[in-house]
Amino acid sequence: MSYWLAIGLGGIATYLTRALPLVVSLRGEMPDILRRYLDALPIAVIAALAGAGIAVQDSVPTGGAEVGGAALAVAVAAWRKNLLFAVLAGLVGVAALRALGL
Amino acid sequence: MSLPRPSRAAITEGWPVLLTSAVVGATFGVIARQSGASVLEASGSSLIIFAGAAQFAVVGLIKDGATPIEVAVSVLLINLRHALMAASLRPFFTRTSLAQRLGLAYILTDEAFAMGIGWFRRGHRDLSYYVTFGVGLWLCWNVSTIAGALFGAGIDRPERYGVDFAITACFVAIVTLSARHRSDVAVALTAAFVAAALRLAGASTTAVVIAGAVAPIVLLATRRGRV
Repeated sequence: MSYWLAIGLGGIATYLTRALPLVVSLRGEMPDILRRYLDALPIAVIAALAGAGIAVQDSVPTGGAEVGGAALAVAVAAWRKNLLFAVLAGLVGVAALRALGL
Repeated sequence: MSLPRPSRAAITEGWPVLLTSAVVGATFGVIARQSGASVLEASGSSLIIFAGAAQFAVVGLIKDGATPIEVAVSVLLINLRHALMAASLRPFFTRTSLAQRLGLAYILTDEAFAMGIGWFRRGHRDLSYYVTFGVGLWLCWNVSTIAGALFGAGIDRPERYGVDFAITACFVAIVTLSARHRSDVAVALTAAFVAAALRLAGASTTAVVIAGAVAPIVLLATRRGRV
């Protein structure tokens, strides 16, 4: 039961973050510095998610396999400009490095 | 069936992202199932929360015995970024009704934001690109969650195949593909290293929120000119 309560509250929290700025209107122009901060924020949060995931995967500090896999994903993303190829490269890289004992 | 041009563009440009989300959605199904959730519970998470990173966090938190309130606060922190994304999309949603905006909010994900804002920044104003991509992502995510939860219970030790790394690899790839200026790279590296350091020092989901909120400030403090 508490599973569904957690999911329900999580769903409400998520929906509020998405809906409130579209429903409540703010008056006036946004200051330039705030606009630039907001512009930079998504890439910062997603990069933070990546960094946290590389450092500690499944509550175990990385032995290096995740760093290698991430580097491979960056290289393939920059080279092929394709998200799927990059993700697959990251998975293959991590699996291979873990098989080597990292 | 022939789709209007912006909808077609959303599919032809967005299919790698949609495919990736299906891979990650299936991964979520597998991991949720292996953490003790039923197929219905895994699917419910994707329907009700519909936010990849937060859903993975929820699985981990529930497994660790977190209370529903702790789960909700963590989800709120992880998804606070959506408020900023919604705020940046708002100017392009001016000609919509309240009911339409409530619908547009439900399909707002990192991926839909990235694809949608890319479309609007190219000067387009119609919403069908964002809607087509957002609904497509919703379908891929929910169908693949069920598929992963149904078939995933049979996968033994998924970490052997690196499957548990899919969501992180996806974040890495999204950042790499969306970094256009040197300043983007600086913000991304700062955020990644701060989050990694905080995480290694023992912080949980707060590591992401703190690092994500601080990294852009560093940039604004060091560069006053155009970003």
